[in-house]
Amino acid sequence: MPQVGMAKAINMALFEEMERDESVVVLGEDVGKKGGVFLVTEGLYERFGPGRVIDTPLNEGGIIGFAMGMAMGGLRPVAEIQFVDFIWLGADELLNHVAKLRYRSAGRYTAPLVVRAPYGSNVRGGLYHSQSPEAIFAHSQGLFVVIPATPYDAKGLLKSAIRSDDPVVFLEPKLLYRAPREEVPEDDYTVPLGKAKVVKDGDDVTVIAYGSMVHRALEAAQSVRHSVEVIDLRTLVPLDVETVMASVRKTGRPIVLHEAPRTAGFGAEISALIAEKAIDYLQSPIFRVTGPDVPQSPLAHDEYYAPTVKRVVNAIERAMKY
Amino acid sequence: MYEFKFPDLGEGLVEGEIVKWHVSEGQHVREGDPLVDVMTEKATVTLPAPATGVVKRILAREGERVKVGQVLCIISEEGRPSGLVQAEATHGPRRGEPLGRASQVQVEAEHVRGSVRAMPAARRLARELGIDLSKVPGSGPGGVITLRDVKRYSEESARERVAPPKQREVEAEAPEERVPVRGLRRAIAEKMSKAKSSIPHAYHLEEIDMTQIMELRDRLRPRAEALGVRLTLTPFIVKAAVAALMDYPYMNATFDEEKGEIVVKRYYNIGLAVDTEDGLVVVVIKDADRKTILEIAREAAHLADKARGGKLELGDVRGSTFTISNIGPIGGIGGIPIVNYPETAIMAVGQARRRPVVVGDGVAIRSMAMVTVSFDHRVVDGAYVARFTNRFKELIEEPDLLVLRL
Repeated sequence: MPQVGMAKAINMALFEEMERDESVVVLGEDVGKKGGVFLVTEGLYERFGPGRVIDTPLNEGGIIGFAMGMAMGGLRPVAEIQFVDFIWLGADELLNHVAKLRYRSAGRYTAPLVVRAPYGSNVRGGLYHSQSPEAIFAHSQGLFVVIPATPYDAKGLLKSAIRSDDPVVFLEPKLLYRAPREEVPEDDYTVPLGKAKVVKDGDDVTVIAYGSMVHRALEAAQSVRHSVEVIDLRTLVPLDVETVMASVRKTGRPIVLHEAPRTAGFGAEISALIAEKAIDYLQSPIFRVTGPDVPQSPLAHDEYYAPTVKRVVNAIERAMKY
Repeated sequence: MYEFKFPDLGEGLVEGEIVKWHVSEGQHVREGDPLVDVMTEKATVTLPAPATGVVKRILAREGERVKVGQVLCIISEEGRPSGLVQAEATHGPRRGEPLGRASQVQVEAEHVRGSVRAMPAARRLARELGIDLSKVPGSGPGGVITLRDVKRYSEESARERVAPPKQREVEAEAPEERVPVRGLRRAIAEKMSKAKSSIPHAYHLEEIDMTQIMELRDRLRPRAEALGVRLTLTPFIVKAAVAALMDYPYMNATFDEEKGEIVVKRYYNIGLAVDTEDGLVVVVIKDADRKTILEIAREAAHLADKARGGKLELGDVRGSTFTISNIGPIGGIGGIPIVNYPETAIMAVGQARRRPVVVGDGVAIRSMAMVTVSFDHRVVDGAYVARFTNRFKELIEEPDLLVLRL
């Protein structure tokens, strides 16, 4: 089995799905001949040709609109938005039309498309190449929201997303494209949507994270003396509420971790769910460790925007004071 | 909110021990009401409520040691408790007579939600176990009650519930019993350790003929009784000791280690050892040189009563310059006492026993008592103490001389 990073694992998923199913097509800016700015679609053009790997104009509204039409017509398009920061040019298409089609047509039409987009900071991307807007998609209703944290999961989740009859926003932590690497089987396997993973067992504190923050949580968990459980949500919609609650009932001390800003971030939703469903088990307040409530940092502050391991450790220690 | 801190009671006192709370959490107190008994050194002081309000939290448990400045309890200064309690109080008059209303208010107060800060998991467990959270001490940030606190409380109270009957059942077989060193016992233990470890003790022993002083005491007894005073040997011993101290001032001194000075006191506060149920207490007759036998007798009896009733105030037990332990009434030829730190000397008087003794060239029956003086050898030497004791002996054996010194 090859040791690969997340970019390669996603590439493998696309390859396999396009081999398996002729209706799967890829479209986006520079996804064809160039193979994508992060080389995630590398080799697809050569293998499947311009009919199934389509270089589009710089037009996010067009990319998502075309994909929706293709999906309604029976294809399973995988559209790439070069950076999720640019997706708002296609916001009406995505949030009003793609997301609502199945409901609006009372189930007569579906839009089984995937919109892939890299997100997140710590790659010196600056303001418009670093944001984490996952909560907006989760709030919009009608979209699945998937965020992998490992190469293995990225491949399995993308396959599930492509096969899903509902539209999926597939957010890729660009920080993890090259590392860490892990063995990713060349077999056809899937990872189900809506199922979180307990990455590390623990009894004292639960850290709930997704994407690149899962690795910060693990690092923090290793550097404290307490028994920390780390949960990788993997999909925000549908959310695996039961796995989260089971862990919180066990430890009584939840910490929610994400790099998006705090206010109305997805951590607020998780916090509220915990308060509703497991408050009797809380031994400490619910702590949120998030990005600050300011616009994404300029380059000089890139490494301070997303929560650091130290901030996660601090939250764990604060929780353990109770 | 009023944070009631353990006040500085003066005289260099830095800590005390909570003996008893007169109030419970949720209870309404009036400024000046007795709030808590705190034992300091050897006196138990009742601290009054500093404000009118509701006792929100009690932060020091009975038996706990507290430092000056430590918060003992929190009183909300509103004239009356909030929310539910206030409503009850207002509706009270329509419901019944004042007494019933008062107790109702108090019961309701204990159930006011939010008056106890506890984590949700702690609340759930308390609910399941039927534990009153207001009785659980909180150890979390800001005193919030954590799950651990409830578990600990539950275990402790279970142990307490189980312990007494168990103890009775196995009492016959139990080879030993462990009694926590608390309160007066702890104070005594600490003071004695300090005295014995920091003062190099030496001892002087003498036999004293008590016959005449006892006769004098017996003669004066009915007169004193007519004045409402029960006359014992103690005031005579005190007066004789004071007279001897005046002649030998270094016996009435303290040793200041830090400054390397001997502090000779020109006042004569005589400590008297009193045996109480809880243990030894030393009460102080202030300015014994300026008091009459009768006054000293009256004061000694009064202080002994206070000591046995646990009612001593700080002033009753502080500031002695020389201590006398009259163990005669209980028995024993004599004792070798530990100096009452930081004084220089202590005197123990044994039981006066009728014995044949050589008087002149003959043998007579006299009431003889052993007197022991333990002293700080840094301050005085054996010869000095012997001369002091000789003077004391002289005054006791020839009360006429004592009279000249009164």
